[in-house]
Amino acid sequence: MIVGTRKPLAEIQDMLKKYDRLLLAGCETCVAECASGGRREVAELAAALEMAFRLAGQEKDIQEISVDRQCVHEFLLDVVDAAQDRDAVLSLACGAGVQALADRLPETPVFPALNTQFIGETAARGLWLENCRGCGNCLLALTGGICPVTRCAKSLLNGPCGGARNGLCEINLAKKCDPEVPCAWLQIYDRLKTLGELDRLLALCPPKDWSSGDAGGPRRVRRPDQEARG
Amino acid sequence: MSPTVTVVLLACRQAVPDPESFTGPLKGAGLNIRVVLEPCSSKVEVFQMLRTLAHEADLLWMVGCPEKACQMVEGSRRMTQRVAHAREYLQEIGLEPERLGMVLLPAGNQEIVDATVNEIVERARILGLNPARAGTKVA
Repeated sequence: MIVGTRKPLAEIQDMLKKYDRLLLAGCETCVAECASGGRREVAELAAALEMAFRLAGQEKDIQEISVDRQCVHEFLLDVVDAAQDRDAVLSLACGAGVQALADRLPETPVFPALNTQFIGETAARGLWLENCRGCGNCLLALTGGICPVTRCAKSLLNGPCGGARNGLCEINLAKKCDPEVPCAWLQIYDRLKTLGELDRLLALCPPKDWSSGDAGGPRRVRRPDQEARG
Repeated sequence: MSPTVTVVLLACRQAVPDPESFTGPLKGAGLNIRVVLEPCSSKVEVFQMLRTLAHEADLLWMVGCPEKACQMVEGSRRMTQRVAHAREYLQEIGLEPERLGMVLLPAGNQEIVDATVNEIVERARILGLNPARAGTKVA
Protein backbone atom coordinates (compact mmCIF):
# COMPACT_ATOMS: atom_id res chain seq x y z
CA MET A 1 0.00 0.00 0.00
CA ILE A 2 0.94 3.64 -0.34
CA VAL A 3 1.83 5.20 2.99
CA GLY A 4 1.29 8.88 3.55
CA THR A 5 1.43 11.34 6.42
CA ARG A 6 -0.52 14.52 6.94
CA LYS A 7 1.17 17.79 6.15
CA PRO A 8 1.49 20.30 8.97
CA LEU A 9 -1.81 22.07 9.55
CA ALA A 10 -0.23 25.49 8.99
CA GLU A 11 0.95 24.44 5.51
CA ILE A 12 -2.53 23.19 4.61
CA GLN A 13 -4.12 26.32 6.01
CA ASP A 14 -1.81 28.48 3.93
CA MET A 15 -2.78 26.61 0.74
CA LEU A 16 -6.47 27.15 1.37
CA LYS A 17 -6.64 30.59 2.94
CA LYS A 18 -7.98 32.39 -0.12
CA TYR A 19 -10.80 29.92 -0.77
CA ASP A 20 -14.09 30.00 1.13
CA ARG A 21 -15.98 26.89 0.05
CA LEU A 22 -13.83 23.82 0.52
CA LEU A 23 -14.25 20.13 -0.15
CA LEU A 24 -12.10 17.66 1.78
CA ALA A 25 -11.85 14.39 -0.12
CA GLY A 26 -10.65 11.19 1.52
CA CYS A 27 -9.56 7.89 0.04
CA GLU A 28 -10.67 4.69 1.75
CA THR A 29 -7.89 2.40 0.56
CA CYS A 30 -4.17 2.80 1.33
CA VAL A 31 -4.24 6.09 3.20
CA ALA A 32 -7.19 4.96 5.29
CA GLU A 33 -5.19 1.90 6.34
CA CYS A 34 -2.29 4.10 7.40
CA ALA A 35 -4.69 6.42 9.24
CA SER A 36 -3.84 9.54 7.29
CA GLY A 37 -6.51 10.00 4.63
CA GLY A 38 -9.62 7.97 5.31
CA ARG A 39 -13.08 9.06 6.40
CA ARG A 40 -12.01 9.61 10.02
CA GLU A 41 -8.98 11.68 9.08
CA VAL A 42 -11.11 13.78 6.73
CA ALA A 43 -13.46 14.53 9.61
CA GLU A 44 -10.54 15.34 11.95
CA LEU A 45 -8.93 17.67 9.46
CA ALA A 46 -12.24 19.36 8.61
CA ALA A 47 -12.88 20.18 12.27
CA ALA A 48 -9.27 21.24 12.79
CA LEU A 49 -9.28 23.54 9.77
CA GLU A 50 -12.62 25.00 10.78
CA MET A 51 -11.18 25.95 14.17
CA ALA A 52 -7.83 27.11 12.82
CA PHE A 53 -9.46 29.39 10.26
CA ARG A 54 -11.90 30.69 12.88
CA LEU A 55 -8.99 31.65 15.10
CA ALA A 56 -7.55 33.47 12.09
CA GLY A 57 -10.82 35.36 11.67
CA GLN A 58 -12.10 33.35 8.70
CA GLU A 59 -15.28 31.28 8.51
CA LYS A 60 -14.99 28.50 5.93
CA ASP A 61 -17.74 26.39 4.42
CA ILE A 62 -16.20 22.93 4.59
CA GLN A 63 -17.77 19.79 3.15
CA GLU A 64 -16.45 16.24 3.44
CA ILE A 65 -16.50 13.24 1.14
CA SER A 66 -14.67 9.94 0.93
CA VAL A 67 -14.47 7.46 -1.92
CA ASP A 68 -13.02 3.98 -2.19
CA ARG A 69 -10.14 4.99 -4.46
CA GLN A 70 -9.05 8.34 -5.76
CA CYS A 71 -6.54 6.81 -8.18
CA VAL A 72 -9.30 5.25 -10.34
CA HIS A 73 -11.33 7.68 -12.37
CA GLU A 74 -14.64 5.87 -12.01
CA PHE A 75 -14.47 6.19 -8.23
CA LEU A 76 -13.99 9.94 -8.53
CA LEU A 77 -17.38 10.70 -10.04
CA ASP A 78 -18.92 11.46 -6.63
CA VAL A 79 -16.05 13.77 -5.74
CA VAL A 80 -16.36 15.60 -9.04
CA ASP A 81 -20.09 16.09 -8.40
CA ALA A 82 -19.50 17.31 -4.85
CA ALA A 83 -16.81 19.72 -6.05
CA GLN A 84 -19.04 21.59 -8.48
CA ASP A 85 -19.92 24.40 -6.04
CA ARG A 86 -16.58 24.39 -4.25
CA ASP A 87 -13.79 26.94 -4.60
CA ALA A 88 -11.06 24.37 -3.90
CA VAL A 89 -10.59 20.71 -3.06
CA LEU A 90 -8.18 19.31 -0.50
CA SER A 91 -7.39 15.70 -1.29
CA LEU A 92 -6.25 13.36 1.46
CA ALA A 93 -5.18 10.75 -1.08
CA CYS A 94 -1.65 9.83 -2.13
CA GLY A 95 0.00 11.83 -4.89
CA ALA A 96 -1.55 9.58 -7.52
CA GLY A 97 -5.03 10.24 -6.18
CA VAL A 98 -4.48 13.99 -5.99
CA GLN A 99 -3.36 14.07 -9.61
CA ALA A 100 -6.22 11.87 -10.81
CA LEU A 101 -8.64 14.20 -9.08
CA ALA A 102 -6.98 17.32 -10.46
CA ASP A 103 -7.24 15.81 -13.93
CA ARG A 104 -10.98 15.45 -13.43
CA LEU A 105 -11.38 18.99 -12.10
CA PRO A 106 -9.57 21.19 -14.63
CA GLU A 107 -11.15 24.41 -13.35
CA THR A 108 -10.95 23.77 -9.61
CA PRO A 109 -7.73 23.96 -7.61
CA VAL A 110 -6.87 20.62 -5.98
CA PHE A 111 -4.38 20.57 -3.11
CA PRO A 112 -2.60 17.72 -1.34
CA ALA A 113 -3.16 17.27 2.39
CA LEU A 114 -0.61 14.47 2.65
CA ASN A 115 3.03 13.86 1.96
CA THR A 116 3.19 10.55 0.12
CA GLN A 117 5.99 8.57 1.74
CA PHE A 118 6.51 5.07 0.35
CA ILE A 119 5.13 1.68 -0.61
CA GLY A 120 5.00 -0.35 2.55
CA GLU A 121 3.22 -2.62 4.93
CA THR A 122 1.38 -2.26 8.21
CA ALA A 123 3.97 -3.91 10.47
CA ALA A 124 2.05 -3.32 13.71
CA ARG A 125 -0.64 -1.00 14.98
CA GLY A 126 0.70 2.46 14.39
CA LEU A 127 3.81 1.29 12.53
CA TRP A 128 4.27 1.28 8.76
CA LEU A 129 7.51 0.18 7.14
CA GLU A 130 8.83 0.74 3.65
CA ASN A 131 9.48 -2.51 1.82
CA CYS A 132 9.22 -1.82 -1.90
CA ARG A 133 10.86 0.80 -4.12
CA GLY A 134 8.85 -0.09 -7.20
CA CYS A 135 12.09 -0.67 -9.10
CA GLY A 136 10.29 -2.51 -11.89
CA ASN A 137 12.56 -5.56 -11.73
CA CYS A 138 11.69 -7.60 -8.66
CA LEU A 139 14.48 -9.62 -7.04
CA LEU A 140 12.45 -11.15 -4.21
CA ALA A 141 12.69 -14.64 -5.67
CA LEU A 142 16.46 -14.53 -5.13
CA THR A 143 16.42 -13.18 -1.61
CA GLY A 144 13.81 -15.18 0.25
CA GLY A 145 11.09 -12.56 -0.12
CA ILE A 146 13.09 -9.78 1.54
CA CYS A 147 13.98 -6.83 -0.67
CA PRO A 148 17.63 -5.74 -0.43
CA VAL A 149 16.96 -2.78 -2.71
CA THR A 150 14.58 -1.28 -0.16
CA ARG A 151 15.50 -2.77 3.17
CA CYS A 152 19.29 -2.62 2.89
CA ALA A 153 20.24 1.03 3.41
CA LYS A 154 22.86 0.67 0.68
CA SER A 155 20.65 -1.42 -1.63
CA LEU A 156 23.44 -4.01 -1.85
CA LEU A 157 22.67 -7.06 -3.95
CA ASN A 158 25.46 -9.48 -2.99
CA GLY A 159 25.51 -9.67 0.77
CA PRO A 160 26.01 -7.32 3.69
CA CYS A 161 28.35 -4.35 3.80
CA GLY A 162 30.06 -5.43 7.03
CA GLY A 163 28.81 -2.47 9.01
CA ALA A 164 26.09 -4.30 10.86
CA ARG A 165 26.32 -4.57 14.67
CA ASN A 166 24.33 -7.10 16.66
CA GLY A 167 22.15 -7.79 13.66
CA LEU A 168 21.33 -4.13 13.20
CA CYS A 169 22.05 -1.90 10.23
CA GLU A 170 24.71 0.72 10.87
CA ILE A 171 22.28 3.52 10.06
CA ASN A 172 21.01 3.01 13.62
CA LEU A 173 24.25 4.59 14.80
CA ALA A 174 23.57 7.81 12.94
CA LYS A 175 19.79 7.87 13.09
CA LYS A 176 17.83 7.12 16.21
CA CYS A 177 15.55 4.60 14.51
CA ASP A 178 12.59 3.36 16.54
CA PRO A 179 12.20 0.47 16.09
CA GLU A 180 15.80 -0.19 15.12
CA VAL A 181 16.45 -1.18 11.51
CA PRO A 182 17.71 -4.74 11.18
CA CYS A 183 20.40 -5.71 8.70
CA ALA A 184 18.38 -6.83 5.67
CA TRP A 185 21.09 -9.25 4.61
CA LEU A 186 21.07 -10.94 7.99
CA GLN A 187 17.30 -11.29 7.60
CA ILE A 188 17.80 -12.72 4.11
CA TYR A 189 20.37 -15.19 5.44
CA ASP A 190 18.12 -16.31 8.30
CA ARG A 191 15.16 -16.69 5.99
CA LEU A 192 17.05 -18.72 3.39
CA LYS A 193 18.54 -20.87 6.15
CA THR A 194 15.04 -21.62 7.45
CA LEU A 195 13.95 -22.48 3.92
CA GLY A 196 17.02 -24.70 3.43
CA GLU A 197 18.00 -22.58 0.43
CA LEU A 198 21.28 -21.01 1.51
CA ASP A 199 22.77 -22.10 -1.80
CA ARG A 200 20.96 -19.17 -3.38
CA LEU A 201 23.54 -16.91 -1.77
CA LEU A 202 26.29 -18.53 -3.84
CA ALA A 203 24.85 -17.14 -7.06
CA LEU A 204 26.44 -13.82 -7.95
CA CYS A 205 23.87 -11.16 -8.61
CA PRO A 206 24.94 -9.11 -11.65
CA PRO A 207 24.66 -5.32 -11.69
CA LYS A 208 20.98 -4.47 -11.52
CA ASP A 209 19.25 -3.19 -14.60
CA TRP A 210 17.84 0.10 -13.37
CA SER A 211 16.27 1.02 -16.70
CA SER A 212 12.96 -0.16 -15.33
CA GLY A 213 13.33 2.17 -12.34
CA ASP A 214 12.14 5.70 -11.83
CA ALA A 215 15.03 7.58 -13.42
CA GLY A 216 13.73 7.48 -16.97
CA GLY A 217 10.65 9.67 -16.70
CA PRO A 218 7.13 8.59 -15.77
CA ARG A 219 6.64 4.88 -16.20
CA ARG A 220 3.60 3.28 -17.73
CA VAL A 221 2.05 -0.13 -18.04
CA ARG A 222 -0.04 -0.83 -21.08
CA ARG A 223 -2.28 -3.87 -21.39
CA PRO A 224 -4.18 -4.04 -24.70
CA ASP A 225 -6.31 -6.90 -23.35
CA GLN A 226 -7.61 -4.55 -20.65
CA GLU A 227 -8.28 -1.56 -22.85
CA ALA A 228 -11.77 -0.33 -23.67
CA ARG A 229 -12.87 -1.02 -27.19
CA GLY A 230 -12.63 2.16 -29.15
CA MET B 1 -15.88 33.46 35.42
CA SER B 2 -18.28 33.61 32.49
CA PRO B 3 -21.54 31.81 33.26
CA THR B 4 -21.82 30.80 29.63
CA VAL B 5 -18.85 28.45 29.57
CA THR B 6 -20.09 25.14 28.19
CA VAL B 7 -18.56 21.86 29.29
CA VAL B 8 -19.23 18.58 27.50
CA LEU B 9 -18.39 15.30 29.20
CA LEU B 10 -18.08 12.23 27.01
CA ALA B 11 -18.13 9.47 29.57
CA CYS B 12 -18.01 5.72 29.74
CA ARG B 13 -21.29 4.67 31.34
CA GLN B 14 -19.47 2.19 33.56
CA ALA B 15 -17.27 4.95 34.98
CA VAL B 16 -20.17 7.37 35.43
CA PRO B 17 -23.22 5.41 36.58
CA ASP B 18 -24.84 8.63 37.81
CA PRO B 19 -24.30 11.67 35.52
CA GLU B 20 -25.87 13.87 38.20
CA SER B 21 -22.65 13.51 40.18
CA PHE B 22 -21.09 15.80 37.56
CA THR B 23 -24.03 17.85 36.30
CA GLY B 24 -25.17 18.96 39.77
CA PRO B 25 -21.94 20.54 41.03
CA LEU B 26 -20.91 21.89 37.62
CA LYS B 27 -24.28 23.61 37.16
CA GLY B 28 -23.93 24.84 40.70
CA ALA B 29 -20.61 26.41 39.69
CA GLY B 30 -22.36 28.35 36.94
CA LEU B 31 -21.33 26.22 33.96
CA ASN B 32 -23.43 24.82 31.15
CA ILE B 33 -22.90 21.09 31.22
CA ARG B 34 -23.88 18.22 28.97
CA VAL B 35 -22.94 14.64 29.77
CA VAL B 36 -23.02 12.09 26.97
CA LEU B 37 -22.82 8.50 28.15
CA GLU B 38 -20.94 6.14 25.88
CA PRO B 39 -20.77 2.33 25.96
CA CYS B 40 -16.99 2.81 26.36
CA SER B 41 -14.79 5.90 26.23
CA SER B 42 -12.98 4.34 23.26
CA LYS B 43 -16.13 4.76 21.18
CA VAL B 44 -15.22 8.42 20.90
CA GLU B 45 -13.01 9.16 17.91
CA VAL B 46 -10.60 12.06 17.58
CA PHE B 47 -12.82 13.73 15.00
CA GLN B 48 -15.71 13.69 17.46
CA MET B 49 -13.56 15.38 20.09
CA LEU B 50 -12.51 18.06 17.61
CA ARG B 51 -16.03 18.55 16.26
CA THR B 52 -17.37 18.95 19.77
CA LEU B 53 -14.83 21.69 20.42
CA ALA B 54 -15.55 23.29 17.04
CA HIS B 55 -19.31 23.42 17.51
CA GLU B 56 -20.38 23.12 21.11
CA ALA B 57 -17.86 22.97 23.90
CA ASP B 58 -15.58 25.47 25.56
CA LEU B 59 -14.13 22.57 27.52
CA LEU B 60 -14.36 18.88 26.64
CA TRP B 61 -13.71 16.20 29.22
CA MET B 62 -13.26 12.52 28.47
CA VAL B 63 -14.09 10.12 31.29
CA GLY B 64 -13.01 6.49 31.12
CA CYS B 65 -12.44 3.63 33.51
CA PRO B 66 -8.98 2.84 34.91
CA GLU B 67 -7.14 0.77 32.32
CA LYS B 68 -7.33 -2.47 34.28
CA ALA B 69 -11.06 -2.03 34.89
CA CYS B 70 -11.98 -1.41 31.26
CA GLN B 71 -14.59 -3.95 30.19
CA MET B 72 -13.44 -3.54 26.59
CA VAL B 73 -9.88 -4.38 27.77
CA GLU B 74 -8.16 -1.80 25.55
CA GLY B 75 -10.81 0.91 25.66
CA SER B 76 -9.31 3.27 28.20
CA ARG B 77 -5.85 2.95 26.67
CA ARG B 78 -7.21 3.79 23.24
CA MET B 79 -9.10 6.74 24.64
CA THR B 80 -5.91 8.01 26.30
CA GLN B 81 -4.02 7.71 23.01
CA ARG B 82 -6.78 9.52 21.14
CA VAL B 83 -6.86 12.33 23.66
CA ALA B 84 -3.11 12.74 23.21
CA HIS B 85 -3.53 12.85 19.44
CA ALA B 86 -6.40 15.34 19.67
CA ARG B 87 -4.32 17.55 21.97
CA GLU B 88 -1.51 17.56 19.42
CA TYR B 89 -4.06 18.73 16.86
CA LEU B 90 -5.24 21.49 19.22
CA GLN B 91 -1.65 22.61 19.62
CA GLU B 92 -1.35 22.87 15.84
CA ILE B 93 -4.65 24.70 15.58
CA GLY B 94 -3.43 27.25 18.10
CA LEU B 95 -6.06 26.39 20.70
CA GLU B 96 -5.13 25.54 24.28
CA PRO B 97 -4.76 21.73 24.55
CA GLU B 98 -5.98 22.10 28.14
CA ARG B 99 -9.48 22.58 26.75
CA LEU B 100 -9.50 18.82 26.31
CA GLY B 101 -9.25 17.08 29.65
CA MET B 102 -9.52 13.46 30.68
CA VAL B 103 -9.83 11.36 33.79
CA LEU B 104 -9.77 7.64 34.49
CA LEU B 105 -12.45 7.17 37.09
CA PRO B 106 -13.14 4.03 39.12
CA ALA B 107 -16.91 3.64 38.81
CA GLY B 108 -18.58 6.44 40.73
CA ASN B 109 -15.56 7.17 42.99
CA GLN B 110 -16.79 10.32 44.73
CA GLU B 111 -13.35 11.56 45.73
CA ILE B 112 -12.13 11.56 42.13
CA VAL B 113 -15.44 12.99 40.89
CA ASP B 114 -15.04 15.91 43.30
CA ALA B 115 -11.42 16.46 42.27
CA THR B 116 -12.41 16.35 38.59
CA VAL B 117 -15.25 18.82 39.11
CA ASN B 118 -12.85 21.18 40.86
CA GLU B 119 -10.34 20.81 38.04
CA ILE B 120 -12.99 21.53 35.41
CA VAL B 121 -14.25 24.61 37.26
CA GLU B 122 -10.71 25.91 37.65
CA ARG B 123 -9.91 25.22 34.00
CA ALA B 124 -13.08 27.02 32.94
CA ARG B 125 -12.11 29.99 35.09
CA ILE B 126 -8.65 30.17 33.53
CA LEU B 127 -9.52 29.48 29.89
CA GLY B 128 -13.00 30.97 29.58
CA LEU B 129 -14.83 30.80 26.26
CA ASN B 130 -13.43 28.82 23.38
CA PRO B 131 -12.56 31.29 20.59
CA ALA B 132 -12.50 28.49 18.00
CA ARG B 133 -16.07 27.40 18.71
CA ALA B 134 -18.78 28.35 16.23
CA GLY B 135 -20.74 31.34 17.43
CA THR B 136 -18.28 32.39 20.13
CA LYS B 137 -17.88 36.11 20.51
CA VAL B 138 -14.85 36.78 22.64
CA ALA B 139 -14.42 40.40 23.74
